[in-house]
Amino acid sequence: MAVDINKIDEIISSHERSEESLLSILQSFQRELNYVPEEGIKRLSESFGVPESRIFAMATFYKALSLVPRGRHTIKVCMGTACHLKGGGLILEAIERELGVERSGTTKDMRFSLETVNCVGACAMAPVVVVDNEYHGHASPSNVHNILKKYE
Amino acid sequence: MEKIKFIIDGKEVEAVKDQNVLEVAQENGIYIPNLCSNPEVKSSGGSCRVCLVEAHQNGRMRLVTSCNYPVREGLEVKTETPLVKRIRKGILELMLARVPDAEVVVELARENGIEEPRFKKDEGDNYRYKCIACGLCVQVCEEVVGVSAIAMLNRSYEKKPGTPYMKPSEVCIGCGACAYACPTGAISIKDQGDTRKIWGKEFKMHTCSVCGKPYIPEAQIDWIVETTGKDRSFFDKCPDCR
Ligand code: SF4
Ligand code: FES
Repeated sequence: MAVDINKIDEIISSHERSEESLLSILQSFQRELNYVPEEGIKRLSESFGVPESRIFAMATFYKALSLVPRGRHTIKVCMGTACHLKGGGLILEAIERELGVERSGTTKDMRFSLETVNCVGACAMAPVVVVDNEYHGHASPSNVHNILKKYE
Repeated sequence: MEKIKFIIDGKEVEAVKDQNVLEVAQENGIYIPNLCSNPEVKSSGGSCRVCLVEAHQNGRMRLVTSCNYPVREGLEVKTETPLVKRIRKGILELMLARVPDAEVVVELARENGIEEPRFKKDEGDNYRYKCIACGLCVQVCEEVVGVSAIAMLNRSYEKKPGTPYMKPSEVCIGCGACAYACPTGAISIKDQGDTRKIWGKEFKMHTCSVCGKPYIPEAQIDWIVETTGKDRSFFDKCPDCR
């Protein structure tokens, strides 16, 4: 996939040139490009004089940053204690089957990225599936399709 | 340099203020097991936790890692109490389960009475199998070599040293300092003929004009010449023939 170098440079130059800006630049990459591209890390390293290995390490440390492009929507299946007991695992399997994608993966059409999380703080609604920022409680393998269909 | 006195295992010793406990213990012939600290690397230590000791001060006791605990007047250190032994044993048991192939860890665990961990052993087939994720290799590459070709990637149980994208590094000079410093021998470095392979990258070795032995990567010579201004001809001969 072609990366937009201009966009990368634009993001870099809109931040102050100090090490403290590194994380927020990586977050901007994630927000605006949907991932942290290799080219972005390279250019950041060159323009800030910070070793590439250090920036790469940062990008691997935070869960909120992804090294591969993410889908337009993010599905989080809760695997916290309550959801786990209420069948969170089965929901996950159902979604994997429905979308033909594995945990931590992204569908080929870039529509969804699938993740698991450990508790979203909505245990009363267990099992919970969160799509983007919308909570879907009392999920079941049979209503997975209905939950997902409105996201394009 | 301010000199101070403190007590270690009942013996009064003299040290420089802020020296670390491990160093002073070693100077006084007291053995404290340790893995991740290297006196040549300032940023090292504090990670493996096998060097822990009891530190008594102002009527309070804390378990501390001796490799980075500064000595002070009035401090009393105990290195072999039942508590220290018990906690160290626990640490080593977990570590052994994590890296059952790392000889030093197997040996240290045995010295502390562990043959087999009660935990499920980790499996793996790469260098990570011996790695205790202490970070010393990364610290050496940054602080001593000044190249920062590797960094600690990921976090928690997935933490490991590596190059960006695990690809051959653009800045690595093939010096092998990381492999040399690694306490568990976790980093693979292979010299074959006039080629060295490390971190997935191949380096052409420079040959000694006298004995004909390949002894240093060309890239390392370039780096030294560039950063120190040393004359290239210095490297014609290996250290043994100079
Ligand atoms: S490779 Fe060796 S030095 Fe590097 S983190 Fe692992 S155990 Fe420590
Ligand atoms: S040697 Fe002190 S923590 Fe590893």
